[in-house]
Amino acid sequence: MRILVIEDEPGIARFLKDGLEEEYFAVDLAFDGKNGLDMALLNEYDLLIVDWMIPGISGIEVCRQVRKSGIDVPLIFLTAKDALDDIVFGLDAGASDYIRKPFAFEELLARIRVQLRRNNPAGDQLTAGRLSVNPVTHQVLCGTGEIMLTPKEFSLLEYLVRNKEKVCTRSRIIEHVWDIHFDSDTSVIDVYINFLRKKLDQAGCGNIIQTIRGVGYIIRES
Amino acid sequence: MPGMKKKTRPAGEPAGSVQEKHSLSLRSRIALYYTIATALLLALVFTLVFFTVERVVYSHFDDELDREVSEIIEEQPRRALDSWNFDHSDDDSRKGERDDHDHDHRKTDGEKVRDDDDEEFIQLVGRDGKIIARSANLAGDTLPFQAGRKEKSYRLAEAGRLAVRQIQVPLTDPEGRVEGYLLAAVPVRDAVTILGDLKQVLLASYPAIILILFTLTRVIAGRSIRPVEEVIAAAEKITRENLDSRIPLPRNHDELRRLSVTINSLLERLQDAFQREKQFTSDASHELKTPLASLRGTLEVLVRKPREREHYEERILFCLKELDRMTRLIDQLLMLARHESRGMTPCMEPVDLALHIREAIGRMQSGAGRKNIPISFHGPQSCMVSADPAMLDMIFENILSNALKYSPPDSSVAVTLSGSSGPLLCTIADNGMGIPEEKLSRIFERFYRVDESRSSGTGGSGLGLAIVKKLADLQHITVSVKSRPDSGTTVELRFPGT
Repeated sequence: MRILVIEDEPGIARFLKDGLEEEYFAVDLAFDGKNGLDMALLNEYDLLIVDWMIPGISGIEVCRQVRKSGIDVPLIFLTAKDALDDIVFGLDAGASDYIRKPFAFEELLARIRVQLRRNNPAGDQLTAGRLSVNPVTHQVLCGTGEIMLTPKEFSLLEYLVRNKEKVCTRSRIIEHVWDIHFDSDTSVIDVYINFLRKKLDQAGCGNIIQTIRGVGYIIRES
Repeated sequence: MPGMKKKTRPAGEPAGSVQEKHSLSLRSRIALYYTIATALLLALVFTLVFFTVERVVYSHFDDELDREVSEIIEEQPRRALDSWNFDHSDDDSRKGERDDHDHDHRKTDGEKVRDDDDEEFIQLVGRDGKIIARSANLAGDTLPFQAGRKEKSYRLAEAGRLAVRQIQVPLTDPEGRVEGYLLAAVPVRDAVTILGDLKQVLLASYPAIILILFTLTRVIAGRSIRPVEEVIAAAEKITRENLDSRIPLPRNHDELRRLSVTINSLLERLQDAFQREKQFTSDASHELKTPLASLRGTLEVLVRKPREREHYEERILFCLKELDRMTRLIDQLLMLARHESRGMTPCMEPVDLALHIREAIGRMQSGAGRKNIPISFHGPQSCMVSADPAMLDMIFENILSNALKYSPPDSSVAVTLSGSSGPLLCTIADNGMGIPEEKLSRIFERFYRVDESRSSGTGGSGLGLAIVKKLADLQHITVSVKSRPDSGTTVELRFPGT
């Protein structure tokens, strides 16, 4: 899952990146509104975290532009203001949720999960056949046996399971699992797919990941 | 109207009691005051009318009596009073004629010719009050005599049952001694009746007029203050939530329009103050919560997983830096609050301004981590002003640090001190990004930042210039700022002439 954080306060931007990466998210940072908007329009993100008061274009304008471009990405805004008007204004402008500074990091994570759950009615638990993936605890179970994965492996598997029955192209995988600093060499995906297949095989979940040659990968329930 | 008066507020009572349940409405009060004034005036007029009429009526009688008396005196020869005779004068022995009221016109042995209804009573009284003679028509009644009167006097009296107007004239002998008195009287029954009627009419109409007047005034007052009620209703509808609404102005250019305009401009100022306060709270909240959020998040993420020692150290140092920033901000806020709450008084003393400026420049340039921007100083070696040295230092440090903060690298800041004759002028000019003209007027507001995103990149909080302004005002120093975007900002400090 790839998140864009638009925040001008370096301290906040840094801990968000650190903390979210430790939660297996790929995180991009933008320090002003203009850059942030460009990045949000250019790349495909799973979630945006936008500070309301940022230099250049304000957070609210970023939100409006994103929505105007027809991007229906969940957007959480951060605000240090506690005026009700501002919050109502923000939500009306198209934000999905807000969180007031200072906030508990756990609360932010929970709110992010709420937004990511939107397309998954089954709740946090993601399943594909015997395989179940829990994005909260980062646990992967094959039947009852736990599979230990590295963060990147987990992110890759989570993305594939979230999009099960759909073909995930190599470029989309890169976009959603790796952050912007990755130099788009898609062969790295093959390497991680190999690691994953090996671990899934050992746990007895067989060859759940299938290759669509020249395009990407797919996970099928059966 | 004592009942109504009871309701009015005693003058000494505080104005707050207007709110009491029994207090009168404005219209009733206007009506009441007006009625009281009119009542007094009307009472005066009525009394005046009554007494004028009375005086006119009686003076008519008095004239007649006067004439009568002088005629009698002329008629009587100069001889002893005992021998005076009024045509039908009688003595007490002539009792047979006493009850005969009609015979007097027949007894015309004197020169007097009298009408039937022009009845006159005449009585001669000795010095000691003894009746010497009286006209027959008195029929044994006497005219009351007042002893000791040296001059002519008129009065109302009674002869028997009859109300009369009476004159009493002292009679003197050639030496001027009072020998006796001549009393003449005419009945005034009609006049008394008329006057009594007049009195009754006046007394009866008085309360009626007052009552009608009160009701009428109350109605008129009610009508004329109706626009006030409208203004009140409009003003009552304005609350915190809709401070931007205004009272509609009445069409007439009268006091009510002025009242409405005044209330509207009050609302305008209120709204401004409200807006500023809101902005201040919002800004203060942003400035304090941002470092808090940064601290909290950094520490929370830090303890989620075990980390390398260097990582811990680096993050803890970062947190300490954030704490410094907060401390500075809180200090500044407290300082402003102190100045606002009880107007700190500056300790004015003779200060060498040039020396203070040079010292402040030295401190700013030697500080660690400063941008390498030279600050030049042009001015006299020494220049005395009356100021608070600590406040002066704070002013210069804030202005200079602003100048450095917003100056690009490789530029310079120039401080000049001039005006040896007349008020001193100190200018601090930088070549920084400048301030757009529309924002110049607001830069002294607390927390105002030209950069609306309140970016912490430059390290400012927006309190520096607010503090400068406050401290300068306390010492009667005028601060003004001139700026052209992209070419620099000049701050001018004008010191009061010594």
